[in-house]
Amino acid sequence: MNRLYDSMEPRVIDDGMLKLAVGEQGPQEEAGELAKQEGILFKDVLSLQLDFRNILRIDNLWQFENLRKLQLDNNIIEKIEGLESLTHLVWLDLSFNNIETIEGLDTLVNLEDLSLFNNRISNIDSLDALVKLQVLSLGNNQIDNMMNIIYLRRFRCLRTLSLSGNPVSEAEDYKMFICAYLPDLVYLDFRRIDDHTKEVAEAKHHYSIEELKHRENLMQARLEEEQARREELEKHKTAFVEHLNGSFLFDSMYAEDSEGNKLSSLPGVSELLEAYRDKFVIICVNIFEYGLKQQEKRKTELDTFNECVHEAIQENQEQGKRKIAKFEEKHLMSLSAIREELEMPNIEKMILECSADISELFDALMTLEMQLVEQLEETINMFERNIVDLVGLFIENVQSLMAQCRDLENHHHEKLLEISISTLEKAVKGDLDEDLSEDVRALFVDKDTIVNAVGASHDIHLLKIDNREDELVTRINSWCTRLVDKIHRDEIMRNRKRVKEINLYIDHMKSELDNLEYSDILD
Amino acid sequence: MEVLREKVEEEEAAEREEAAERAERARTEKMTRPVEVRKEETTLTQETLRDLEKKLSEIQIPVSAELPAFTKDTIDISMLPVSYKTNTPKEEQLLQLADNFSRQYSHLCPDRVPLFLHPLNECEVPKFVSTTLRPTLMPYPELYNWDSCAEFVSDFLTMVPLPDPLKPPSHLYSSTTVLKYQKGNCFDFSTLLCSMLIGSGYDAYCVNGYGSQDLCHMDLTREVCPLTVKPKETIKREEKVLPKKYTIRPPRDLCSRFEQEQEMKRQQEIRAQEEKRLKEEEERLMEAEKASPDALHGLRVHSWVLVLSGKREVPENFFIDPFTARSYSTQDEHFLGIESLWNHRNYWINMQDCWNCCKDLIFDLGDPVRWEYMLLGTDKPELSLTEDDSGINDEDDVENLDKQDEDKSFDMPHSWVEQIEISPEAFETRCPNGQKVIQYKRAKLEKWAPYLNRNGLVSRLTTYEDLACTNILEIKEWYQNREDMLELKHINKTTDLKTDYFKPGHPHALRVHSYKSMQPEMDRVIEFYETARVDGLIKREETPETMTEYYQGRSDFLFYRHADFGPRVKKLTLSSTESNPRPIVKITEQFFRNPAKPAEEDVAERVFLVTEERIQLRYHCREDHITASKREFLRRSEVDSKGNKIIMTPDMCVTFEVEPMEHTKKLLYQYETLMHLKKEEKLSRHQVWESELEVLEILKLREEEEEVHTLTVSIYDTKRNEKSKEYREAMERVMHEEHLRQMETQLDYLAPFLVQLAPGEKLTRWQAVRLKDECLSDFKQRLINKANLIQARFEKETQELQKKQQWYQENQVTLTPEDEDQYLSYCSQAMFRIRILEQRLNRHKELAPLKYLALEEKLHKDPRLGELPKMFT
Repeated sequence: MNRLYDSMEPRVIDDGMLKLAVGEQGPQEEAGELAKQEGILFKDVLSLQLDFRNILRIDNLWQFENLRKLQLDNNIIEKIEGLESLTHLVWLDLSFNNIETIEGLDTLVNLEDLSLFNNRISNIDSLDALVKLQVLSLGNNQIDNMMNIIYLRRFRCLRTLSLSGNPVSEAEDYKMFICAYLPDLVYLDFRRIDDHTKEVAEAKHHYSIEELKHRENLMQARLEEEQARREELEKHKTAFVEHLNGSFLFDSMYAEDSEGNKLSSLPGVSELLEAYRDKFVIICVNIFEYGLKQQEKRKTELDTFNECVHEAIQENQEQGKRKIAKFEEKHLMSLSAIREELEMPNIEKMILECSADISELFDALMTLEMQLVEQLEETINMFERNIVDLVGLFIENVQSLMAQCRDLENHHHEKLLEISISTLEKAVKGDLDEDLSEDVRALFVDKDTIVNAVGASHDIHLLKIDNREDELVTRINSWCTRLVDKIHRDEIMRNRKRVKEINLYIDHMKSELDNLEYSDILD
Repeated sequence: MEVLREKVEEEEAAEREEAAERAERARTEKMTRPVEVRKEETTLTQETLRDLEKKLSEIQIPVSAELPAFTKDTIDISMLPVSYKTNTPKEEQLLQLADNFSRQYSHLCPDRVPLFLHPLNECEVPKFVSTTLRPTLMPYPELYNWDSCAEFVSDFLTMVPLPDPLKPPSHLYSSTTVLKYQKGNCFDFSTLLCSMLIGSGYDAYCVNGYGSQDLCHMDLTREVCPLTVKPKETIKREEKVLPKKYTIRPPRDLCSRFEQEQEMKRQQEIRAQEEKRLKEEEERLMEAEKASPDALHGLRVHSWVLVLSGKREVPENFFIDPFTARSYSTQDEHFLGIESLWNHRNYWINMQDCWNCCKDLIFDLGDPVRWEYMLLGTDKPELSLTEDDSGINDEDDVENLDKQDEDKSFDMPHSWVEQIEISPEAFETRCPNGQKVIQYKRAKLEKWAPYLNRNGLVSRLTTYEDLACTNILEIKEWYQNREDMLELKHINKTTDLKTDYFKPGHPHALRVHSYKSMQPEMDRVIEFYETARVDGLIKREETPETMTEYYQGRSDFLFYRHADFGPRVKKLTLSSTESNPRPIVKITEQFFRNPAKPAEEDVAERVFLVTEERIQLRYHCREDHITASKREFLRRSEVDSKGNKIIMTPDMCVTFEVEPMEHTKKLLYQYETLMHLKKEEKLSRHQVWESELEVLEILKLREEEEEVHTLTVSIYDTKRNEKSKEYREAMERVMHEEHLRQMETQLDYLAPFLVQLAPGEKLTRWQAVRLKDECLSDFKQRLINKANLIQARFEKETQELQKKQQWYQENQVTLTPEDEDQYLSYCSQAMFRIRILEQRLNRHKELAPLKYLALEEKLHKDPRLGELPKMFT
């Protein structure tokens, strides 16, 4: 193909070429004249053909946002690039070029038909984003590894594939292999796959496929599990009580607490720690469950509110629509009456009447809207009060539960201190247990050291608890303010939109009437 | 047995007397009232009676002038079985018992009328009424339920009034005879119906009592026809929705409450007045409708059927009037009193007071105070509701009638009536002659058997405006088995509107067609079975100037199309073959929302103003908007000052967009939309035109169907299905012929000769030989005769041919070509005949000796000729 254009210089897609192509391929005849008058915007073009132009480099296509079909065949393109913004592309033809690797297609999620026929591709990959792919043409390339076909299993919609002219197609098992591994395929190398072939192929590769399927299923199951876990966590996060349904907080308290860990090896401390941990976890779980319950409450509150507001708006819109319909009926009648009327003074009178009608409609619609705004404001304020109360209650209860945690910690601290001091006394006396490690022994040098160590551990624990509590309170408060803000903002937006709509409509009506006036006067 | 009976009587005498006294008092009371009435009008009584009789004789003759009397001499009793003509000893015993019972009864209650116990049957033999009941389960599934059963009886029999309206009849015929002659009085009716109902498991009884005049004369003219009663609409209760927590408050009501109240009061007053007026009006009407008082009220004897609750899931007791097949509650005021009732097992006398019609009666037949039973032991166990009694009660079907009652004093003998049979033909024809007329209040119902009318008409209901039935209000005609699936034709005489209803299956999927005239382009509404149509059309309404079509379930979401037509342009061309459609002025099309498109691009309504060359589009309204986008195209193609054609200018398209969009402002977009719309307009016009054509076609087809009105015949209907009938007849013919042939082969050669001899005589040898010789010679003679006959014909033909040939040769020159042709054809035919004759002769010559030998052989073996020694032959 390139031979034909040997005389021509390799080119890059530029503005001139694009304009020319768009002009040539745009609407014809009468519509074409119109198009020429107005000019065609690149973003309105749906299909573009750039074949046999000796293009070396794809460029300047970013304006074609809505392009559905792009033909770049029979050029000398070496690299797929510059197609990132063409996200609506459905049909892409890059056949008869010099492409070596598949790349740059990651944004084309709507692509259904891809042709890379007669290139220099040796490996099928980088097509992961093309979930809707139905037709893939990869004939006359240099694909030589059968495993490439397994890669194609991920395209659930793939129905047509051509791979002839590749080294891989020389293999004697080629057809059977493809039929077996891509069972949904309908056409292979421009031929329909008959049922018999499919059966034979399946029988032949039965075992390996089963194994593959099993692996895929496992993978799928794992992915789903992961997903479910993530969703669960997300749900807890919206309730602001994530990681409270276990010993996570307790564990984190001891994670950075080296002294505490050291002290736990003292005799009697491990039992103490065990009891402490159990009690602590129970309180955490309490918080967690309470949080979920409160979340449910807030959700129903919000749902009821949304539902009611929606109903109110719908009802109001219905009223508005009825008013407009009634008006339009009358308006049409009077317009045609005006057109038929011959006497000038009469016409003027009728036009006046009409404009009075229009302003009446305007008043009516605006009254409706104002009424709705007032009603909604009241409701929104009520909701705001309720939700703030709910949040306040939640925070209060959580804080009291957290205080219990702190009490536990204090209690534990005292106990620990007692044990430590008695151990110190023993150490002073010299009858310390032999099995204590060296660094633990190091703590029992004098009273200050041991008291400091225990105190440090206690401080760390309290800090952790405080942090968790602060986090919860800040997050829920910010959620609440955001929610209320959003509701207010939405309401304002809605109001502005409606007012704008009404004004636009009334303006249109008025201008229509004015036009009528002019045309009458002209007549 | 009688002694026992008397004992029982004595035991109960005290309370019985008491009850009887009460009954007596009531009866006298009841009796005196009409008597008083009569006393007041003594002079009129005779006249009224005569009048009444005259009136009755007019009313009671639904079938022509045939004698309504159903007397003995019209019945052929010679064919009836013995049980009809005589009484078995058991029956005799029963009759004696009944007589005794009757005597005691008349002794104890001398004021009550004699009991209706054993009337004479068609053979003048007294038969007890219970034995006249013959419980029978009909083989037709349609007759399994009481309503259809009663309807059948009322349709099948013609009503004959009682000879004396104040007395039970002297004769009670068997149901078989009644069915045969298809007429009977109320006792015959209720006997037949009761037999059928008991047969199909109901707890039914024949009642001898007193009915109103209307009831006794089968006069429904004061009843509303059940077909005209409209079913009451069930009023849906609106559930009040609880206001939700955040429901917005309604805007403040600024109206004065006081004014509202005043207004309400005023309204109420007006309404009250209106109601009062209506009520008065109604009362006036009621008065007019009320019948003239009946002089014999309460004395007219009638018989009907009582069905007690319990069996066949009957929830409560009710009456069935066998004349009209209507069910009444036991409180109905048509039923004025009960003397006695019976089923196939026992006979009960009502001992309760009937002063308040039947309203206070309690149908607890086991209560001996209220109901005096005749046969001990077979009493109704209702009072003593013990376990085993109810068990027996459940079991007692028709089949095991005689199994039970072993310990009881006397069983009712088995019915003397033959099995009741209704032939399928009679069952289908139902009414005598297949037709019946019932007169209701302001309505007349006519019924026909299916296939009786050539157009499939099975019933017609005529509704009148007035009581005298002169002004027809509307006519409803029901059809069956029509090929065009017509089911009901409804003609409203006041508006002249005709409405045809069709069952699914019409070639044009018609459902309802209402029209005033069959002329095209007139007011009409056609409804279709839309699932049977490709275009999903539900309804098409036409007026002289418009046509409106409603669709459903279309892929293009169209649901409404309305076309306005202008006056027809007169064409000068005379070619009548070319249709001249009315010009279309305006087409309006409306579409449902297409969820695949955004609302501002989804057209909701488009109007093609064809004459003004304008197209108006209205788009759907987005969910959060109250206004919808609009677009109007003016498609006048104009030429600018330089003579160039203007393709598209901004003022050719007036647009209102709720949310202005960029690309729609472009002329190119507008131009393309316009082009598309032009195409659509053409299509729509074509559609309208096609619809018009279709209407014409439908009208033509309907007219044809009305003329032809072919009826369909089910393939299972062996009697009517012509094809299968032909086939069957052909089969029968073939069978018959086969049979004949077989007969022929067994022809007896010897018969004519054996006749000459005395019968039963043994043949002597000599006689046998002579017989054989005679037979053989006779056969030989016949063979020769046959040969001669063929020979003679052959010769005759040849001679004629020769003559003809001669004649031809002589006149050959003068012959016309036609004559020559005739001659030639004659020759060929003659030659053919000669050849055939020749062949037959040859064949005969060949076969004759063989046949002769065969006969000889046969005769030789014939046992009648005895063993003829071979040497004699």
